[in-house]
Amino acid sequence: MTAHSSEAKQLRPGLWETINERYPGSMITKDDLVPLARLRKPLSEARLTFVSSAGVQPKGTMPFDVAHPIGDFSFRRVPSDASPAALEIHQIKYPTNGALKDLNVIFPIERLQELAAAGVIGGLTPNFFSFIGYQMDPARFERTLAEEIAEAVAAERADAALLCPA
Amino acid sequence: MQRAIERKGIPTISITVARDVTEHCQPPRAVFVPFMMGHHFGVPFHSELQQRLILAALKHLVAAQRSGQIEIVPVTWAQARQEGKAIEQAMSIRN
Repeated sequence: MTAHSSEAKQLRPGLWETINERYPGSMITKDDLVPLARLRKPLSEARLTFVSSAGVQPKGTMPFDVAHPIGDFSFRRVPSDASPAALEIHQIKYPTNGALKDLNVIFPIERLQELAAAGVIGGLTPNFFSFIGYQMDPARFERTLAEEIAEAVAAERADAALLCPA
Repeated sequence: MQRAIERKGIPTISITVARDVTEHCQPPRAVFVPFMMGHHFGVPFHSELQQRLILAALKHLVAAQRSGQIEIVPVTWAQARQEGKAIEQAMSIRN
């Protein structure tokens, strides 16, 4: 089997079933597809944003409520010119052994800054957007946080968005 | 959330380590990397790999023809870890 095979395995198979069994109704299943929006300019001219559920936030902002049984439906703005030293992680649902050594493994802010500086992408939105992935009410999540971040992304005139569901 | 952004006319791409979860929620575009949770962009200090994964995602952002398509990035966790260890070893020698 090659790595490119459609059989490429994930390291934690059955994740959807596992979580949905433990927290019934918490996992999202969609039967429909949304039409693709098209990139209207070359990548080298496009302003990219980054949206993360990794619980990364600027030091000094209100920590995400990782203990709430239903989740924390708020988000934080992370300045795209921040250095990793100015950021910290508040979440308890994924292993952070890599991220604590080098934040870029889950929140690649320095790599995105480099790609913008090199002109591979046109630029970055002033802020990136961050929340925690532990959300036990998907309907509320879609109604509130998803729409709020989508609006914030549009307000910063992003041409494209990279998302990292942690 | 990805759907909400796409509905605003902004093309989106997600990078996932949980292929089954992504198949269930069918985002407009995604790339799958067979890595450990919390390590979507690889291993510490492996800047080249981290950047390559971002570029793989952006490539699919531009190239995807149909909604819901998941592209598999040809990387392995074993190799990423091996390279990461070598990088960290080299760093500790330098320090």
